Amino acid sequence: MVQYMKIRYGVPFQIPRRLGDRFKEIVGIKGVRYVRQQGFVVSDKSALDAMNRILIKMGLILVPDIRCFICGMDVECDECSYKDVCKRDAGSCICSTCMSREDVVKRYYDTQRTMLDQALH
Amino acid sequence: MKMLWTEKYRPRVLNEIVGNEEAKRELLKWIVDWQRGIRDNPGVLLTGPPGIGKTTAVYALANELSFHVVELNASDYRTAQSIYAKVGHLTQSNTLDSFTSGGVRRNILIFFDEIDGIDPKADTGGLKAVLDIASKKEVPIIAAANVPDPSSHKELLKSFKVIEFKPLTPRQISILLRRIIASEGLSISDEIIDKIIRSSRGDARLAVNLLQEAAAGVDIEFVSTPMENLPFDILMKRLSSSLSITEIRNLLNSNSSQIEDVFYAYFDMILRSGSISLEEKIRLLGEWSKLDILFGRMNKKRYFSLFRYINMLLPWLIYSANRAGAIYDGRIPQYRLRLFILNRGAREELNNLYNTYLKGRLHCSYRKFVLEVFPYVCGYLKEDEYPSLTKLCKKGGYGVTW
Ligand SMILES: [Zn+2]
Ligand SMILES: [Zn+2]
Repeated sequence: MVQYMKIRYGVPFQIPRRLGDRFKEIVGIKGVRYVRQQGFVVSDKSALDAMNRILIKMGLILVPDIRCFICGMDVECDECSYKDVCKRDAGSCICSTCMSREDVVKRYYDTQRTMLDQALH
Repeated sequence: MKMLWTEKYRPRVLNEIVGNEEAKRELLKWIVDWQRGIRDNPGVLLTGPPGIGKTTAVYALANELSFHVVELNASDYRTAQSIYAKVGHLTQSNTLDSFTSGGVRRNILIFFDEIDGIDPKADTGGLKAVLDIASKKEVPIIAAANVPDPSSHKELLKSFKVIEFKPLTPRQISILLRRIIASEGLSISDEIIDKIIRSSRGDARLAVNLLQEAAAGVDIEFVSTPMENLPFDILMKRLSSSLSITEIRNLLNSNSSQIEDVFYAYFDMILRSGSISLEEKIRLLGEWSKLDILFGRMNKKRYFSLFRYINMLLPWLIYSANRAGAIYDGRIPQYRLRLFILNRGAREELNNLYNTYLKGRLHCSYRKFVLEVFPYVCGYLKEDEYPSLTKLCKKGGYGVTW
């Protein structure tokens, strides 16, 4: 059985496994660092994915805490009508409040434009 | 042939691609850094299953930043020479390679699509050529792979920046559909939309194709219940990640045309698995060969009632292989492609279809076309124009059967 563990990007966390030699391998990943007495800090998605490629062998998968891409609120996955078909491994989703708005498509595009423009500068 | 909505609504800018927001941001950031001279990695490798926007993201990125994309795909990777011939000259600093289109000077971006289409056994330096070209860091390089192989793509995974694309969430699929529904002025019931979202399993391309089918009046009950016909890759992923016998059985039943492929893919998985103990392997392979005999007998003697036994046994075998730790690593059995192409009439029609209508319009190679796109195009073919293909499709031997 695989165990899933929620984490946030940039926030330290501990890994509930005996890592042994894998520790070196994990901190060797670009975007992963280890802060003494606090734990691992993962900067982004590709670092997390690289980490998961190692952890999956120990039956552990780290999943990012899922926030609404549009408004940043918690997406309450347990109350989602699609929870039975959703893998919950995306970095973000859309909360039910935003989903219920008439202009959700436009707001999604706009939010994404703002985010991408920030990456341009 | 009607225009496919997957083409009509293919986003031309990054922010209109739904899902994988963080992955796109990383991709954009990488190329912006590249332009500023920060070149830590020789290239980017986009990974993830088909239909979730990897290729679309590359072209949208190029469009936004005025790059001209030089694309290579599986058919170009046969030899190192063919790769150098196509893009080698672009990586020499003296050529100042830029491309003028519509009066705009565009820089070059090399896109190695389906990099995992290089068969490691048949690779005559193709991968090495890609790495060599990238190491010069003269031109930004983006590669894409469905599932990279940890051993044969080791160098690539180590030196390239890996950005993983994930299937869309159901709500993201919903956003995608809403845009098309509004733009086409469709009146489709919420119930049907819900079914499309559920059947698409995070595959944006499949969702849009299903919506087009539904809009064309295909009975949605038909679409969602008896035949799923998932892309092989996705079917395998779902089967191998399931530990429920009921789910496995349902998946096999709704994708029955692919049962034999699944069987052989599992055979291969068990054989190559590093995590299954030797005793367990022997036991599983023993069970598997019994089934192999049944398949052989069935195909040779056209003794199709044997299928019932296979149907009963296979779910249990898959279940026990999963429990033992079998992992699907994304290999598509090559014979799958060959089986289909053995039919000469179908092969000619398929070539014709690809060349006449789709080449240049779809950003994909012939191989990708056959495996991933054709199953959806199938339903639109006119019988008098493509007799062999339509016959094959109807038989359910290939792809979509609704
Ligand atoms: Zn929200
Ligand atoms: Zn969800």
